[in-house]
Amino acid sequence: MLFPALLLSALLALAPRTDLERGLPVSVSADAPEDPAVAQALAPSTAIIRQEFSQVLTQASDRIPRGRLGEENLLGYWVADLMRERAGRCLGRPVVFAFINSGGLRADLQAGPLKVSDIFELMPFDNELVVTEYTGRELLHLLRGGLIKKAGEPCSGVLVSLQGTPEHPLLSATWLQGGPIDPEATVLIATTDYLLASGDGLPTRGRSKTVIPTGLQIRQILLEACSELGKQGQPLPCPAPGRYRFAPGMREALLERRITW
Amino acid sequence: MVDRRAFLGGLGAALLASRLPLRAEASPRITLLHTNDTHSHLEPLASGALAGRGGIARRAGLVKRLRAQGGNLLLLDAGDVFQGTPYFNRFRGLLDYKLMSMAGYDAGTLGNHDFDAGIEGLLAALEEASFPMLNCNFSWKGAPRLAERIRPWTVKAFHGLKVGLTGVGVEFRGLVFPKNHAGVEWRDPVAPLKGVVEYLRTVEKVDLVVVLSHLGHDHHGEAIDDLNLARLVPDIDVIIGGHTHTFLEAPVQIGSTRIFQVGYGGVNLGRMDFTLGPMGRVIACGSAAIPLVEPMG
Repeated sequence: MLFPALLLSALLALAPRTDLERGLPVSVSADAPEDPAVAQALAPSTAIIRQEFSQVLTQASDRIPRGRLGEENLLGYWVADLMRERAGRCLGRPVVFAFINSGGLRADLQAGPLKVSDIFELMPFDNELVVTEYTGRELLHLLRGGLIKKAGEPCSGVLVSLQGTPEHPLLSATWLQGGPIDPEATVLIATTDYLLASGDGLPTRGRSKTVIPTGLQIRQILLEACSELGKQGQPLPCPAPGRYRFAPGMREALLERRITW
Repeated sequence: MVDRRAFLGGLGAALLASRLPLRAEASPRITLLHTNDTHSHLEPLASGALAGRGGIARRAGLVKRLRAQGGNLLLLDAGDVFQGTPYFNRFRGLLDYKLMSMAGYDAGTLGNHDFDAGIEGLLAALEEASFPMLNCNFSWKGAPRLAERIRPWTVKAFHGLKVGLTGVGVEFRGLVFPKNHAGVEWRDPVAPLKGVVEYLRTVEKVDLVVVLSHLGHDHHGEAIDDLNLARLVPDIDVIIGGHTHTFLEAPVQIGSTRIFQVGYGGVNLGRMDFTLGPMGRVIACGSAAIPLVEPMG
């Protein structure tokens, strides 16, 4: 009895095994049957979500992606541009720079009808728009932090350039309207209350303790901007790339963490 | 990946130890099913490369089918149940935990986004969870009501097999809005986890130690992660991971610890099978063992 059993176990061990038997993930695909009780419990909530979040705001003329690590975050550019514009409108003064963390943008926008639910999936957080003061030096420090962390975080109002070599990097930035950033000058910048409080790994805390709340949720700003475009019969365009420029090999060096800062 | 030699040796020794005739219960088995970072994707994903995959009703159906096969099974989650679709904005996590309870989850842990509704919001959502929430590295001193709801560990006993479960969470700094975790502090997980694992092994005498981890799979040396945890805390059999949305094709093995993480959004259900091997220690095994062994009993 022992030998056949061991032989059987040997054959079993050597036999081809399915994904399930190997300890692999099982895809929860469309052919997986639903649990009727769970599906029934979910259905009323799905109806509410459909009713409250399915409104089409406008059309997206192209897909607006966040980009993979090392690529420009065009979706982030759209969000940061809106933050800067709305912050300036709230304060009645120019807000020259805005930034947001790429990790705070949770979904790309697809081409075609843009629904309320798409904006909620892109920006599910209830974070609010705030304005604070930075020196030019602090702004450059923040840009450098974004390059180290994500090879560039989405921002608005500046053009960033990383030249030189991995051993001798040369980071510079100019205002979008032209002209260098004065390290000693103090400017107003827009960001989120979350980023200012937690940083998400970025050096977001400047020396200034001044924080001006706007009372506006970032998501609400996005919803209103899309709704306004829809009312005007205009699609949402995809922002152009080109806010970060790298010398040959520097982007790769950033991703491989070979830059000596 | 399950090692064939270990599988063969383990199964052979288990058969010998069982003194033939072979019986399935002579070599107890356990199946671990798991998710991570479901992020309020209660419906299948609507867009992107994984569109059409996932959905809590399908996941529950799949689990029910696997449970119907008999045998010991645990359904576990490694955190970040909340945040990601309008379901969270509208229902604040109550619906997620309610449906997970219906799907038969046995335990879960807290991810950073599970604090997105704040302490009061988390407490309200946990009212809907019929399964224990595990964490051993947060200090709850400033949030006593939440402390009552979170357990450092739990034990699931099956016929001939005890499984010890615990959980670890990621550092709040830079990830969680300070006001949302008021009263709860992060501690490095290594020391508290060592204590829990030792307790589970020596006092509870569990056969299998499973850690539900929301630390992340690999932070490349910049922070504690699952790979380091396996190196720094001995005697863990399984780390079910989350946070980094890592799509692993199969469990990664560090020493005797298997580490698995299955993407995000509930598009995959992880599965690992274990049996009691030589010297009473668990070994990973293939689920084909039971159907062939059982008829001989």
